[in-house]
Amino acid sequence: MEEIVTRQNYSEKEKNDIFNNEFLPHINSMYNFGFRLTLDRDDAKDLVQDTYLKAYRFIESFQKGTNAKAWLFRILKNSFINDYRKKTKEPSKVDYQEVETYYNSEDVNRQITPDLRVESLKDMIGDEISNALNSLDVDFRTVIILCDLEGFKYEEMAKILDIPIGTVRSRLHRARNLLKEKLSEYAKSMGYKNTES
Amino acid sequence: MNLPHNPFAQADGKKPTCMEMLQVIIDGEATDEQQEYFKSHMDRCLPCFKSYDLDMAIKRLLKSRCCGGDAPADLVEQIKLQIGQNTAG
Ligand SMILES: [Zn+2]
Repeated sequence: MEEIVTRQNYSEKEKNDIFNNEFLPHINSMYNFGFRLTLDRDDAKDLVQDTYLKAYRFIESFQKGTNAKAWLFRILKNSFINDYRKKTKEPSKVDYQEVETYYNSEDVNRQITPDLRVESLKDMIGDEISNALNSLDVDFRTVIILCDLEGFKYEEMAKILDIPIGTVRSRLHRARNLLKEKLSEYAKSMGYKNTES
Repeated sequence: MNLPHNPFAQADGKKPTCMEMLQVIIDGEATDEQQEYFKSHMDRCLPCFKSYDLDMAIKRLLKSRCCGGDAPADLVEQIKLQIGQNTAG
């Protein structure tokens, strides 16, 4: 799914302006994305550095004033899949066929986690939510990061991930249910602790 | 045609589930018409009413607890050096 890109012809000054004013302001979001993907601070640093170098190298396929953040996130995601993931040999554990089938089945109206309540979230002031997010398979983690942490629209997510919008929706739906299951477990164990004391 | 038009209905006429509608609302992807429709739907659908609060709370919690943290201080400098940008300027 390669997009047709019109190559721009930027002067050295323009290149540096774009890099400094449109790319670098996203460094903290990029680092957080890198960290949430690799779960390692050093790896995140390498990944972000590598992404920015690529962005500079390919700057002529970036159209000034368009969505730089989505463009950078897409490069980082691809670097992660092509370079990092290959290195660590972590295969994708998600069977998407299964996800689609699940989503299209009648089960979706069923309340998956009836015991998770808004009130129990109020006790999660530590790393619970962060740990729950990090425990998800990387593909599920990714859609939550893009949507809930970074506020990307479905359409932007589809472009970043090279998947149809329908898949964005279904993966997000599944990811949130898994996250809720995790949070329910935490809520349960915290409840036990509270009754003990 | 007594049934009110459901603005969430797919092009193929497929009826959307509560969860599908809720997700569109939660993620701010709903049109004005969809928002109006869902508001009145929530009045008579307890699962949606409950899930709405929970989903919004989780979204807020994620944003507040998982977004923090700045990139290492030297990262920008290192990147600039590598692309040969004059960092003094
Ligand atoms: Zn409903």
